[in-house]
Amino acid sequence: MSTLTIDAIRKSYGPVETLKGIDIALQSGEFLVLLGASGCGKSTLLNIIAGLGEPTSGDVRIDERSIIGVHPKDRDIAMVFQSYALYPNLTVHRNIGFGLEMRKVEKAERDRAVLETARLLQIENLLDRKPAQLSGGQRQRVAIGRALVRNPKVFLFDEPLSNLDAKLRLEMRTELKRLHQLTKTTVVYVTHDQIEAMTLATRIAVMRNGRIEQLDTPENIYNRPATLYVATFVGALPMNLLAGTMGDSGVTIDGTTATVAVAGLEAIAPGRRVTLGIRPEAIGKSREPLFRDARCEVAELTGPELVVTARIGDQRVVAAMPADAGIKAGDEITINADATAFHVFDAETEQRLN
Amino acid sequence: MSSTWMTTRAWLLMLPLLIIMTAVIGWPMIDTVRLSFTDAKLVGTGGAFVGFDNYVKMLSSSNFQRALFATTWFAVISVTAEMVIGVLAALLLSQQFYGRAVLRALLILPWALPTVVNATLWRLIYNPEYGALNSALTQIGLLDSYRSWLGEPGTAMTALIVADCWKNFPLVALIALAALQAVPRDITAASLVDGAGPFARFRFVILPYLAGPLMVALVLRTIEAFKVFDIIWVMTRGGPANSTRTLSILVYQEAFSFQRAGSGASLALVVTLIVTVLAVGYGMLVRRTAGSAT
Repeated sequence: MSTLTIDAIRKSYGPVETLKGIDIALQSGEFLVLLGASGCGKSTLLNIIAGLGEPTSGDVRIDERSIIGVHPKDRDIAMVFQSYALYPNLTVHRNIGFGLEMRKVEKAERDRAVLETARLLQIENLLDRKPAQLSGGQRQRVAIGRALVRNPKVFLFDEPLSNLDAKLRLEMRTELKRLHQLTKTTVVYVTHDQIEAMTLATRIAVMRNGRIEQLDTPENIYNRPATLYVATFVGALPMNLLAGTMGDSGVTIDGTTATVAVAGLEAIAPGRRVTLGIRPEAIGKSREPLFRDARCEVAELTGPELVVTARIGDQRVVAAMPADAGIKAGDEITINADATAFHVFDAETEQRLN
Repeated sequence: MSSTWMTTRAWLLMLPLLIIMTAVIGWPMIDTVRLSFTDAKLVGTGGAFVGFDNYVKMLSSSNFQRALFATTWFAVISVTAEMVIGVLAALLLSQQFYGRAVLRALLILPWALPTVVNATLWRLIYNPEYGALNSALTQIGLLDSYRSWLGEPGTAMTALIVADCWKNFPLVALIALAALQAVPRDITAASLVDGAGPFARFRFVILPYLAGPLMVALVLRTIEAFKVFDIIWVMTRGGPANSTRTLSILVYQEAFSFQRAGSGASLALVVTLIVTVLAVGYGMLVRRTAGSAT
C-alpha cells in the first residue's frame, strides 16, 4: 500500500520534448491508467517510473521517497510487459521466482511464494513448462505472476493485453481487476485501448503530445470530457461533433436552423465559434427532437443496439438506437438530443465550455 | 504436375552440379582411398597394394600422435580464446558510446585480411631482431632481451595461436553482435527490474539468444582450426623442432616433401574422418541448441 507522486516530469531527446511537465499524485491502492495514442509519451512516463529511463527534470516519489537515480531493482516496483518478456530457457516456476532468486530469498520461502502466486493465477499445473510451451494467455499469466510474487509497492503494466486475442483480452481484463481488488496495490497501467482504461481504472490520465489532457475518474472522463481530444478519444462509438455558433438563445448548428440551449454557456459571447458534441448513446436516450428530417443512410445491428448513421444537411450523425427501433436505410427519422446531453467546446482552443 | 515429374526435374537441375562435384571431389576422394592402401610415391610408377600397412604405421608413429596433440591443442585453445574474446568484443560493441560505428567497421579488418598477409604481419611483429613485440616488451620492462618467439619450441605455438585469434575473433564477434540485436529489449528491462546483475543478465537473458548462433560459430571455427595449414606454413612451417606441426602440415610433408603419396593419403583420410566426426557431432548440437530461445 503505497502512494506514488509524479512531480513536474519532463523528458527530452535532443530538441524533441516527449514529456512536457507531468504531475500526478496517486493515493495508495489507486489504479491509474495512462491512456493515449501511440507516441503520446505514456510508455516513456512508465519507463521513468520503472527506472528504465531517466527524466530530464522532475521527481518521482514512492511513499514520499524520491526514486530518481535509484536502480530499478531497488525501487520496489514490478513491471509487466506487452511482449511478456519471459526468460526463454527457464521454467515457469523459475520465471515467477526469478526476482526472489536474484534477491537471494531462501529456496523454501521462494517455492512457497511461487506456488501461492501460481495458485492465485490458476497456473500451478504449468510450473515445469518452458515459456515456448505456453499459449499467449498463459504466458501473460506467468508474467503477471512474476510481478505479483514480489509483493511490490507499485505495479507497472505496459500494454499487457495488446498481444492477446479479443476473447482472452476480456478474460484477462476481468482477472486483472479481480487481482487488484484482492491485492489493493497501487497500479500504473499503460494502454491505448479506451475500454480497458474505462473498465480497469480508478483514475484515467488521457495523454496527448507529452501532456495530460485530463486526469479524472472514468465517469468524468466519459461524461465530462475536458477537451475535444478526450471527448473523441473515449467512447466505443466516436462522439458526434457538430460545428456551430453561439447565439443569444443557444448554439445554432451550421447548415441548419436548429438551436440548442445548453446550460452553463451564459458567459460566452454571441458569435463565438463552438463545436457541439453528443454521444451516439445519448441520442438514443434523448426525448427532445432536434432534427425532424434526417435521412438514415446506414443501419447496423450490433446485437444490443442499432447503430444508425443519418445525414442532416451536410453533416453526419451516428446514433445508437434500441435494437428494436425498426429503422432501415432510406427512412426519414427524427434525431432526438436533450440539451443536457451536449458537450460544448471552443472551436479554437478545443477546451470545454459548459 | 505429378510428384514424379517434380522429383525427376529436381534431379535434372542438380545434375550439372553433381557431375562437377563428382569430378572435383568424389573422384579425388576415391583415388585417395585407393592410394592409401598402396605404397605409391609421388613420382614414378603406381605403388603396390599394401593393405592397412600405411594406417597401422601411421597411427602408431610418434609423429602422428604429436601432430594430433598439436592440432587439438591449437584448435581447443585458439577456438576457446576466439569465442571468449569475440563475445566480450560483441558485448562491448553493443553498448552505446561515441565512435561505436567506426569501431564496429574496424572490427572486421583482421578477418578480411588474407591469411598470408596476416601471417606475414605477425611474423614481422614476432621478428627476433626488429619485431614490435620485443621492442614493446623491453621498453615497458617486461623483457630483458629480444627473444625469437617463433624460433623457440616453448613459445612458437602460443605465438601462432595469438595470430590466429587476432584474425578470427572478429568472425565470432560479428555473429555474436548480430545475435545480440535479437535479444528483446523488454526481457533485458524485465531482468533489470527483477534485480539481475550483469552476470545473471548474461547467463539468463543474453546467453539463450547467443547460444544458437555461437554454436554455429563454434562449429565453423573448430573445423577450420582442425584443418589449419596456411597460417602455420607461412609462420613456422611446422617448426621449431616440429613443435607446431599439425596434422595438415604432417599430411603435406608426408605426401609432398617426402613424396610418400600412399601414407600421405592414409593420413589425409584420417584427418577427413576426424573433421567429419566433429562436423556431425556439432551438427547435432546445433540442432539441439537452435530454438532454445524461441
